[in-house]
Amino acid sequence: MNAEFLLGLAILAIGTAATAFPGEKTYLARLINLEIPSFGLFLIMLAFDEMLALLTFVGVTAISTFIFVRIMERRDDR
Amino acid sequence: MIAILQAIFGGIALLGAIAASLSKSSYDKLIGIGLLTGGVIPFVAARGYLDVAIAVSLLVPVTTIIILQVTGPEEER
Amino acid sequence: MEGIEGQIPLILTAGIGLYAAIRIVAERRTLRKLPYLNVLSFAVAASVALLIPHPLALAAAAAYFVGSTLESNAIASAYAGGPERQ
Repeated sequence: MNAEFLLGLAILAIGTAATAFPGEKTYLARLINLEIPSFGLFLIMLAFDEMLALLTFVGVTAISTFIFVRIMERRDDR
Repeated sequence: MIAILQAIFGGIALLGAIAASLSKSSYDKLIGIGLLTGGVIPFVAARGYLDVAIAVSLLVPVTTIIILQVTGPEEER
Repeated sequence: MEGIEGQIPLILTAGIGLYAAIRIVAERRTLRKLPYLNVLSFAVAASVALLIPHPLALAAAAAYFVGSTLESNAIASAYAGGPERQ
């Protein structure tokens, strides 16, 4: 039970609560809060020494953020 | 990495997560994400995954700049 | 813990990073937070460079420094109105 695993669990819990119940209920606030549990899951993957999972997860997070931003621009309400 | 450094960088990452989740403005949230990134990168480098650290530290600002395209102008306060 | 005397510069840079993080959280105005974000990027880049004696650690520190400077400058530029609203 090393430090990365415990820190990842704490950040994952904080980020999940902040994404499910944001302060102001807009899509943009939820999208920015969604970055926090991705870092928590990243630290948990780091604790288990999964290097290929780390690289794939970071790349897919960037691409999915780009797709969400394109959808929010097309709907034209924030 | 010794325990003092783990405590310091873990504290930086937890401060970033709390500041990003509790602030109201979008720009304050993005500054909190930057703080969280600065706390996470030394944990990656300390385990020896230096190429993963390079990839993460170059892909996170790209994500921030993509999100900045959709944030509105800051209201006057 | 006998090797703590060799770790004094690392603890010093990490302490500077923690001070900058506390100042970012405690500050109220957004534009006052951005210089301390730059201070944090200096401290974390120095910590990464001092943490591992490996040649690729210098490249990792340089990549983090470039990325963090780009991020804080992009936030400041978008806060000030962006290039298209002048």
